[in-house]
Amino acid sequence: MYRFGSYLLVTSLCLTMLGCSSDDLNVTKGSDANSNTTTTATSLTDEDLYKPILLPFDAPPLAELDAKVTWVDQPVWNPYEILKDKLDETEPLTEVKTALSLRNDYPISKVNNEKIKSALGRGPISNKQVDYEATLTRRVGGDAKTTNPIMVSSTTDFDVSSLINMELFGFDWNMTPFANSEYVKSWQTSESLLYEKITLRNDIYWEDGTQVTAHDVVFSFQTILNPEIPIPATRTGTDLIRWIEAYDDFTIIIFHPEASPVNIWNINFPVIAKHIYEKTIPDDKSLKSSDAHRELEKNPLESGPYRLIDRSFDQELVFERREEYYMVNGKQVRDKPYFKKIRLRIMKDPNTAIIALKSGEIEEMEITAEHWNTQANDDDFYKLNTKATATEWVSFHFCWNCKSKFFQDLKVRQAMGFAFDHEELLDKMFKGLYAPSNGPFHPKAWMAPKNPPPFLKQDLDKAEDLLDEAGWGDSNFDGVRDKMINGKRVDFEFNVLCSQSPTSKRVSTLLKESLDQIGIICHVKTLEFTVLQQYNLDGNFDATFGGWGTGTDPYLTENIFGTGKKRNYGKYSSAKVDQLYKQGLAEFDKEKRAAIYGDIHQTLYADQPYTWLFYRNSFYGFNKRLRGYYFSPRGPYNYNPGFYSVWAAASE
Amino acid sequence: MAKSSGHEAKPSQGFWAESWRYYRRNYRAMAALAFVFALSLIALSAPMIVGTKPIVCKYKGNLYYPMMGYYNNRWEPSIFHQDRFRKRYPENLKKNDPDSWAIWPLVFQDPNRRVHEDEWPGQPGNELAEKGIPNKYNLMGTDIDGYDVFARLVHGTKTALLVGFVSMGIASVIGITVGAAAGFLGGWVDVLLSRLIEFVICIPSLVLILALLAIIDQVTIWHLMAVIGATGWTGIARLTRAEFLKIKQLEYVTAAKALGAGSTRIMFVHILRNSMAPILVPITFGIASAILTESALSFLGFGAPPPNPSWGTLLSQGRSNIQDMWWLIVYPGLAIFFTVLAYNLIGEGIQEATDPRTREAK
Repeated sequence: MYRFGSYLLVTSLCLTMLGCSSDDLNVTKGSDANSNTTTTATSLTDEDLYKPILLPFDAPPLAELDAKVTWVDQPVWNPYEILKDKLDETEPLTEVKTALSLRNDYPISKVNNEKIKSALGRGPISNKQVDYEATLTRRVGGDAKTTNPIMVSSTTDFDVSSLINMELFGFDWNMTPFANSEYVKSWQTSESLLYEKITLRNDIYWEDGTQVTAHDVVFSFQTILNPEIPIPATRTGTDLIRWIEAYDDFTIIIFHPEASPVNIWNINFPVIAKHIYEKTIPDDKSLKSSDAHRELEKNPLESGPYRLIDRSFDQELVFERREEYYMVNGKQVRDKPYFKKIRLRIMKDPNTAIIALKSGEIEEMEITAEHWNTQANDDDFYKLNTKATATEWVSFHFCWNCKSKFFQDLKVRQAMGFAFDHEELLDKMFKGLYAPSNGPFHPKAWMAPKNPPPFLKQDLDKAEDLLDEAGWGDSNFDGVRDKMINGKRVDFEFNVLCSQSPTSKRVSTLLKESLDQIGIICHVKTLEFTVLQQYNLDGNFDATFGGWGTGTDPYLTENIFGTGKKRNYGKYSSAKVDQLYKQGLAEFDKEKRAAIYGDIHQTLYADQPYTWLFYRNSFYGFNKRLRGYYFSPRGPYNYNPGFYSVWAAASE
Repeated sequence: MAKSSGHEAKPSQGFWAESWRYYRRNYRAMAALAFVFALSLIALSAPMIVGTKPIVCKYKGNLYYPMMGYYNNRWEPSIFHQDRFRKRYPENLKKNDPDSWAIWPLVFQDPNRRVHEDEWPGQPGNELAEKGIPNKYNLMGTDIDGYDVFARLVHGTKTALLVGFVSMGIASVIGITVGAAAGFLGGWVDVLLSRLIEFVICIPSLVLILALLAIIDQVTIWHLMAVIGATGWTGIARLTRAEFLKIKQLEYVTAAKALGAGSTRIMFVHILRNSMAPILVPITFGIASAILTESALSFLGFGAPPPNPSWGTLLSQGRSNIQDMWWLIVYPGLAIFFTVLAYNLIGEGIQEATDPRTREAK
């Protein structure tokens, strides 16, 4: 449920470029960057804006389709239950009480971290354990820009949207997609993979009592693809659907333009109420300016587990459980959400936030790596809180511009990998908190190669030899390497771009220092996030520091490494890799797909368009009364059930 | 020279010598002047005080000055690059030429990187972040990346002083020109320029600086100075205008006019000289405020690019680690405090020494 629909497609289609705008936030809130990027990169260029996206389509009658097509059942799961089943497979490593008294000394010893996660990251055994009257206070890094689910763009927008809106589809911690049984009765895909048949449950209601129907879904789809409406993020992916037809109030057929194993990632989009918006949209295509839309921003029409009850600008958003969400006609039809109220406290500065966490003012937050062993490690912290960490598949790298006069040569790119002081970065700067990275896929991911290439180590001799071989010697004896290019002597002096976040600056400065040792002048150029994004998109750089969050399927990385693709900032081009991406999309067997993507990983490692550096862990602090946080490769929240698995223990 | 009659009269000392005599009596101002002088020396000789490159060394039969690399990357002798020293001198000097010798800076630390273990025989590697408490190797501790705070302070002195002098140099040129034109020419020029001055005063300078910096592609310390200078001239301009208004009424100006001197000549040769004393005061205070502004900008993260050792950058790191790393606040804070104080004392000293009313009171 959490981060569903739009999220899924947003985060999946356009991976994450990290290192966003405001200082530590980037580092802390990777997902901030998520959405920010998505906004800049996938939204509206002029040509997108007025292009008719949806062409007329003649949907065949349902009977005709049923006769022609063989339907295959797809998973319709209850997110709470699948996580419970998963956790029940293993015994907790220790008692809850013991876990609460432990100090998490990761990375010196990883035992306590595992114990804490295993004992506290579980669902309740009985309802009596849960304090259903509890209010949860969470920290968010910025205010919501909108409460309209189809207009979301920032992380907080997504947080809000997932609380107040229903989301038909989700994916679990393995990124296996499924339909959410809280809203969907059945989901079938045709054998040809061209059609999806979805039957909605008949007990979903909008806040005003109107029933949610298939027509709302179709209306939302058409609204998202309406070229006159400036949709920031949710259009990506949705625009790859050919058509959606409602055959009755609850039956929907989705028509895909072509068969593909990844069609599933396009069918998640948020749903808005047709009976409201069909009246208001003709007057205000911006969805923001008219009185009606302003009123809807303030009082959105909820269909999900919570309703927005209070909002103070740049301070907090307060939500209350909708009893009619799980109780329909006096009968409980869904799982009762664990919290009565949820407050999203807006705290931009992580320093302020951690003090608030220690005082109990907030009960949950993402901790920065810098705070993990300092602020989040003293008695004050442990009085009310505990903390846990897990690897997140968010990897950081230097991207070399393969068209630049410096880095077009493979040897130079390899030399950069050998020149960088990886040990200093991982062991000293990050104190062993982060794991090394050697390519686009995390070593534990299903698509990572079986015999992974080694992690790079600093080897200045090798780096200098490679540079000499590539013709970058010091011909004028000024201590700076140079090369004759088109009859002109060019010094090896370039800028590495990075965002203003302290981590980005530190890593880039370390590169500068490493290169300084071998006669290369590197300037660290910090840019405001959106400006950096523009430089990257334009390929207007020699080197740039950044990170990618993991998508939900490896085919998404084609956008990063495929020739001429939008996020291929470094203009890398390899016929072999392009070919492999094509094969990956045509292959339906998961094992064989894994082999193909493993091959891509190996090829990219050999070509070094990036110097891969490290995976960022997620670090979270939780109040001691909270339970049920389970970490996925996308952190503890960005999957299903994600945030909804968190509960507060009733006091004994 | 006027002909002296009878006995030898002591020639008048002249305004500036007189002022200097009064200034010297003000011990606080003198201490401040000495302090700034010492700072200038530190700034100039930073690589000799703290660094990891020899001041001078004999290597393979020749004398070299590797510390020049701190002034400009390209001034570092290239032989060390050819021999793959990789900026690690102590070990490589001995290894490549057992007969070599070197004179080292007083403290073996580097402002732009972390010093590793045994780079200097027996010296432990710098600790990082909260572990980098001051000790005998890191006199003022280390910052979050293990860079030595003392080294950064010493090498950052150059930035702080340069910012003060260059930005106020720019501000003085603009301020004096505008003020002189307004005061001397009067009329509509005065009206226009006065409104311009008022307009610039109204703009909060830090905000303007932030806006200007957003336009600049690659911000260097020189951009900062230019921007600070371009916004900090109003006080100087107003004083200059007032002085000019007053002095242009004097007879000697009329005399100069009668002799056929042009406006520019009168303004800058005849009047400016006599209005210099009061103008010096806001310039000195301006230097202090420029240093503060640069620190503030670096503190906010809009300063010169990393790893430029600026005092404000250190403070900024201290802010995010205030509960664990007090030394990141205390030492740079003190450095900024004393420097700004010194300039303010100098300004005050000049004011007292040049103003006949205050100096008579002494």
